[in-house]
This record gives sequence, C-alpha cells and structure tokens, in this order.
Amino acid sequence: MAKIGVFVCHCGENIAAKVDCTKLVAAMESHPGVAIAHEYKYFCSEPGQESIKKAVTGHGLTGVIVAACSPRMHEATFRTACAEAGLNPYLCEIANIREQCSWVHSDGEQATRKAIEITRSLVEKVKRNNELQPIEVPVTRRALVIGGGIAGIQAALDIANAGGDVVLVEREASLGGHMAQLSETFPTLDCSQCIMTPRMVEAARHPKIRLLTYSEIEKVEGFIGNFNVTVRQKARYVDMNLCTGCGECIIKCPAKKISGEFDCGLANRTAIYTPFAQAVPNKPVIDSGHCIYFKNGKCKACQRVCPTGAINFDMEDELVELEIGAIVVATGFQVQNTALYGEYGYGRYPDVLTGLQFERLASASGPTGGKIQRPSDGKEPETIVFIQCAGSRDPSKGIPYCSKICCMYTAKHAMLYHHKNHDGNSRIFYMDIRAAGKGYDEFTRRAIEEDGAGYVRGRVSKLWQENGKLMVRGADTLLGRPVEVAADMVVLATAMVPQSDSKELGKTLGIGYDEYGFFNEAHLKLRPVETATAGIFLAGACQSPKDIPDSVAQASACASKVLALFSREKLEREPVIAQNNEATCSGCWGCVLACPYNAIEKKDLTDRAGNLIRRVASVNAGLCQGCGTCVTFCRSNSIDLAGFTEKQIFAEVMGL
Amino acid sequence: MSIQEQYRSRAKELLREGTVKMVIGYGAGTTPLRRRPIFITSPDDADRLVLDAACRTNLAGYLLREGLLADQKSVAVFLTPDGVRTINILAAESQLATEQVIVLGFQIDGENARQLEGTRVADFSGIIAERKKKRKEQPSHEVARKLEQMTSVERFSFWEGEFSRCIKCYACRAACPMCWCRRCVVDNNQPQWVNTSSHTLGNLEWNLVRAFHLAGRCVECGNCSEACPVNIPLHLLNRRMTEEVLTAFDYYPGADEHQEPVLASFRKDDPETFIL
Repeated sequence: MAKIGVFVCHCGENIAAKVDCTKLVAAMESHPGVAIAHEYKYFCSEPGQESIKKAVTGHGLTGVIVAACSPRMHEATFRTACAEAGLNPYLCEIANIREQCSWVHSDGEQATRKAIEITRSLVEKVKRNNELQPIEVPVTRRALVIGGGIAGIQAALDIANAGGDVVLVEREASLGGHMAQLSETFPTLDCSQCIMTPRMVEAARHPKIRLLTYSEIEKVEGFIGNFNVTVRQKARYVDMNLCTGCGECIIKCPAKKISGEFDCGLANRTAIYTPFAQAVPNKPVIDSGHCIYFKNGKCKACQRVCPTGAINFDMEDELVELEIGAIVVATGFQVQNTALYGEYGYGRYPDVLTGLQFERLASASGPTGGKIQRPSDGKEPETIVFIQCAGSRDPSKGIPYCSKICCMYTAKHAMLYHHKNHDGNSRIFYMDIRAAGKGYDEFTRRAIEEDGAGYVRGRVSKLWQENGKLMVRGADTLLGRPVEVAADMVVLATAMVPQSDSKELGKTLGIGYDEYGFFNEAHLKLRPVETATAGIFLAGACQSPKDIPDSVAQASACASKVLALFSREKLEREPVIAQNNEATCSGCWGCVLACPYNAIEKKDLTDRAGNLIRRVASVNAGLCQGCGTCVTFCRSNSIDLAGFTEKQIFAEVMGL
Repeated sequence: MSIQEQYRSRAKELLREGTVKMVIGYGAGTTPLRRRPIFITSPDDADRLVLDAACRTNLAGYLLREGLLADQKSVAVFLTPDGVRTINILAAESQLATEQVIVLGFQIDGENARQLEGTRVADFSGIIAERKKKRKEQPSHEVARKLEQMTSVERFSFWEGEFSRCIKCYACRAACPMCWCRRCVVDNNQPQWVNTSSHTLGNLEWNLVRAFHLAGRCVECGNCSEACPVNIPLHLLNRRMTEEVLTAFDYYPGADEHQEPVLASFRKDDPETFIL
C-alpha cells in the first residue's frame, strides 16, 4: 500500500501568491495513496528538509512529492534529504508548480487547479517508481582543450600543472589565437607578445601537455569521464620531426603574394609559411590551396632547399583517437565581416581598417614594425577617426549584443596613436563608453585627459573619399549638430562574433549554442563554465564576447572544474538508463543506430546447447545516458527507461 | 512461351536443382480475378503458379514466417520492384539476409505481366533508382489531392468518418510486410497506450500509430487497403508519410539493403523544420 507524502512549498511568495497552497494540500490529502500532505514557506531550508525527513521516518513513507520549483533547481536537494531519511532517492519526485504554474499564470484560481493536477499526476507516477541504485563509471584523467588561444593555453597549463594530462588542439599552424595578434593590451599596456609567447612556449614544452596544432575535432563520442574523441591532424607537408625551423624554404618559395591571415591582409606571406615569427611550434606548413606544386604539379623549390629533407608532398591527414575525461571548449571568436557596413567603406577604401588590423599596425611585430602608417601610401595619418559599435548593439545588422572589448581597445588605439604620433588627432564616435573592469574607467579617462582622445558622442552615417581624405559625416548628439571630419585613416570597432563554424562544433560536441553561435552555459549566473552536457566546459570568447582577463579567469575556472572531476576515483551516474525486454525485441537494430552514445550492443540468445536462437539489443549500463532516444524509436515498445518507465509516464498522464 | 510458362519452368528448375527449398508465388483464388499466395516445395507443383495482372499482393512478408529462413536455405519469391524494396528494408532491419532470397521479378503494365531481369535484390537497384525519380515527379493521387486541399478540421473529420468503420481486426497489420514486430505495440497492455476497443478514438490511435511506424518504411504496395474489410483507404496515410520523408530527407525506402532507417539515423544537415 502506497504511503505518499506531499510537501507543498510556498517558495516565499513565488508560489503562494498565486497558488492556494492550503487548497492544494487539502486536495492531496484526500487523494488515494497519500498518507500526509504539508505546506511550508521554504522546504529547501534546513527546517524544511528536516520536516520532510521526520515525516519519512515517522510515517514510513514509500514515496515523496515535493511540489515546489523546477527539478533542475532542487531535485538533488530533496532526493538527498530523502536518502538521509532512509528512503531510496528515486522515490522522491518534484512537482514543478513554480516555473510551470505560479510564475506563468495570472489567475490564482486556475493556477491552483493546475497545481493540483500537476501534483496529482506526480503522485500517480511516484506510486509506480522503483528503487534505483546509482551506477559507477571510471574517469579518464586526460582533458581535451579545444583552441590554443589565451583561454585554451591557460586552461591547459592549469590542468597540467596540477598533474592532469592535457591534449591541446589548435586548428591553425601555431598556438596564440587572437591575443598573439594584438599590440599592447589594456588597461596596463603591456605588450601582448611579451606576455603571450612565454605562455605558448610553456604549453608546448609542458611534459603533461600533448600539442596537436593544425588539427580539428572530427568526432566526439561517449560521456563525462569517458569521451572518445577523434582529431583530424591536417597534412602540414612538413615533417615535424625532421624540420629544424631554419626558414630556408620560406625564403625560396616563389608563391609570395598570398594575403597573410595573421596580419589581417596587411602583409603577404608565402605558400610555405609560419603564421608569425614567434609561432609555436616554429615550423612551417604548406598551404596546399596556394602552393604552386599542388596547383600545377611543378615547383618543389622548398623540397630542394630543405637541408633535412623534411618536405613531404605525399603527407595525408591523420586521424588521432583519444580517450578523454573532460573537454574544455576555448575556440574563441572572429571579427565580424565588415561587408555588412557598406556605408563605412570597408574594402573600398584601403585606409578604412578594422580594430584588429590597427592592432597589427601598432604591433612591433607587425608589417610596419609598429609604425602607424596608411596602407594606401605609407604616410603617417594626421587624423584618425575611430568608429565604435561598428556592428555591435545594432539589431538591424543582426547583432544586438555589446562586444564588450571595443570601448577599451578603441581608447587604447587612440592612446597608442598619440604615443607614437604626438601631434596626431583622434576622434572617436561612440554610443556609450563602457569601461567596467579593474582599472578600465581610469584607462579611458587617461585616454581622454592625458592622451588627447577626442570623443564625439554619436553615430557615423556616411564615409566617402575626397581630395585624398576620408570624409566622415556623423552626428554629435551632445551638441545636437552634425559633424564632418576629414580623416586620413578610419578604424572600425567591428563586432566580435562566434567562429563561423561554431554551430557545427556545437553539434559535434553535443552542446547548445545561442542564435548567434556562442555556446550556451548551463546557468548564466550559477554555472557559467559548465555546459548542459556533463564533462564539457567553456572558456573564453566562444561563450560570449570577453576580454583577456575574463577569458583567463574563465579558463582557470574550467581547469578547477576539470580537476574536481579528475580528483574522483569513480563517477556516480544516475541510474536512469534504458532496459530492453529481450522477449519482445525483434533485433531490428534501429535503437543501435539511433543511440547517440553507442550504448546498445547486439546480444546472442542461445538455447542450452549453445545454438543461436535470436539476436537482441542489450543496453550497456556504463555507456547509456538515459536520453530515451531508443525508447521513442522502438516500435514494439521493448525498450523502457528506468525512472521514466512507460508505466510511470502513462500513470502520470492519466493522473491529469 | 507465355510469361507464366517461363516463370513456371524457372520455378521448377530452381526447386529441382535444389537452389531453393520453396517458391512463394501466386495461385488461383476463389474467384477468377483473385490470386492467393501459394508455397511450392516440389517441382511437380510448379504448374499451379499463376502470373498475370491480377497478381498484386506483395509476397515479401511471407519470408518472415517464424523459422522459414532459419535453416539458411534459400527461398524464391515472386516480387514486383516494390516487393524487392520490401526485401531491402527487411534486410536493412536485420529481419532476413538477402543471400537467402531469389527474386522472380515481374512488373504489371496495364493488363500484362512483364518479366524483369535479375535474380538477386541488388540486380534491381537501377529499376528502384528509376522509381524514386518517378515518385518525386508523380502527381498526388486524386483523393490525396482532395485531402490536401481540405482544412485540418475537414481532414480530421474525413478520417474520423473513415476510422469509425474500423473494427480493429488488424487485417492491415497481418497483411503488411513491415508489421513484423514480435509484439505489436497495441498488444502491450502494460501500459495500454493504444485503446483496444473499436470506438473512434481507439481506432484513430491504432491507425495513426501504424502510419507513424511505417514512416520511411512503407513501399506503397497497397496490401493494407486491399486487406481492409471495411475499405478504409489506409494507403493514403502511408503515401503521405512517404512524401514527407522523400521531400524532407530525400529518402526513398528500400533503395538498397544497407539503407539506414530514416527515423533512426541522423545527418548534420537534416532539416529541422518540425522543431518549433
């Protein structure tokens, strides 16, 4: 005989203001199988949990329903409380009368009726719940870090320094990411290369870190603690073991006029190249798309000059299989395609640049050696106009969000320009100055007060060329009048957008992403580095626009999550897994195909003499994640999900 | 030699040589225009075989009779191209091995049965590819078109009317070569998802569940409608599902024996129009 206890939580006023909890308790008290029903202001509090425990032992309850908030919030809390009182935790269920009832309805009477229905249906379910025991799975203590920018490097180093194995995968030929491209960094103006390259070297030399550059994620299978990852190591056509990085090949390569990605098109590179002088590993790669040999079968100049015979044109992509326990995604961002802003003349006028291009101009390692010169004629610009929010905070261009870093780097650009050209004149068109961060507002104030940054509040409507000048027309909304500036150079603070293939990667990893392609965290405030997929974490700008301090902080947070996972001998998994009825299974293997975790195997049914009678599906409890895909696929309803059996769900539905 | 004579002698030969242990074909029915399946195991009985335009039933399903293929011996079956597709699906769903099936292929053109070249299911892949192309271009059936033009309320009441006649005899299930589950979902009473009594709701539940279970699996052979004693145009439901998977996933059931079931396989470029 069922003895169910129903505990109705007021959640302060969150529930009680809409739902008549006393009425709900009365309705439950008279429901068959319900032994007791109580209400309380906060069941999640210490006295609340204690009262549930007392009721479980005092009344010998066989099941518990807590009618409260979403199970995502406190299912674990109440199940633990029940377990402490000696009741199997899977005999405790949450009736969500907050998110799914009180919060979304305005009519109290109807909300109460709905709350009664919800709670009653859960009572019907819990009557049919079975005791379940958690499943233990081992943990592979090796982390995969995807992306070798500052976030990825930081996470990899933190994990490796604590003794964890790390595989660091970078799709470009060198570590470094965007930070390696920057000149100085706000708000302290330390040189990006000076703080970044030692980290790159440290990561590459670390005995616990295996570095896979020029590689991409091909396939991810498995689950927390036990991922199987396939990485595609793209053919470099240069044998990394033989190459000494002498650079002879680069000097001799006849294909010299390829727009260099690292310098954002401001300088050319050869077909065999290292992305930049401080690259890690500092060994070249052949860009087969531009290589003359790959295009028309003749050349091989690099092969002839290579003193160690490291060039191998027959090299093929290699697939590397990895056993991984946790994954850190740190794939970073891209600069928005400026084609969206035809009115700003990007691409038409060579002296209209993106912020990232300006970084290359200002960088000592850049194409001009740090001299700020116009790409068109090499002259030093006398006036530079900076346009903030070129893309960001503009719903009409599809980017309503703030890219977060542009206010700061634009102030920095104006400052750097002033440092390098004392007579230079900078005008910054802005919407607001967002300088929230340690030392940030001081930094922008310094740009304005000491470094002559001229801020104009307003937007730019048009940009055109006239007498060798770039004419910028905009509005000064503080003075309420139009302004026109004759500039020698215009820098657009373009929006930060996700990598163009981030959604693809999200699908490969099985993690969520938002409408733009930024990856979704499990909870914006309370679980900002976890994804909804256990064992996969987010670091840096792949989650949302971030500056370097935030990216590094999040990367270290990821490392702490990974290390917490690695500190465990075994993981306890929810016993919510699929079970197959071998008597009715016809062995069509639809479930095998449908299973995203490869958790279903084929099992032989034999007679006593060992002769094969039939083959049926069999669920591997260690691999099954309880997603239920197989259950929905199975036409004969042979597969069922423990904790959510068809009988339970049916009773729940019929309880409505 | 007439086509019927040709096939009789082929069947005789196959049995005499011991290539197959049985030939599943058509025999004379109770009325002149009816054919019934016959199961020939002796060369002497091969003359009972009939092949003409009245041979419409898809015989593929008989191969799954429990134990028939368990001895690994081969069986020859009279099959139209859609019948061959059925074999492909059954093989893809691991219900039989194509090596055990010898195809006696034919096609009905108007009043005549026409011979199709080939003995193994793989020999018919060209014909099947051709049928897929035609299926895409094929205009909707007249009644189907009428149904498409109805509002959803009208369409629902049309099917309500049709299903009100259903007596839950499960003849459609028995006739369908795709209904090979060891236990049908309607026979599962723990819990009883599908209402077994033959009132309109239970009938709707049963027929819609069956239609969903056939999505991406139906070869449109028409066995269901033929078998229905109260003449419910069941094939219209299945045709519609076929069109859905064809347009959404470019999926034509039974294209080959390795084709993955459309509802169990996943591609990254699958359209997600049905996800709200």
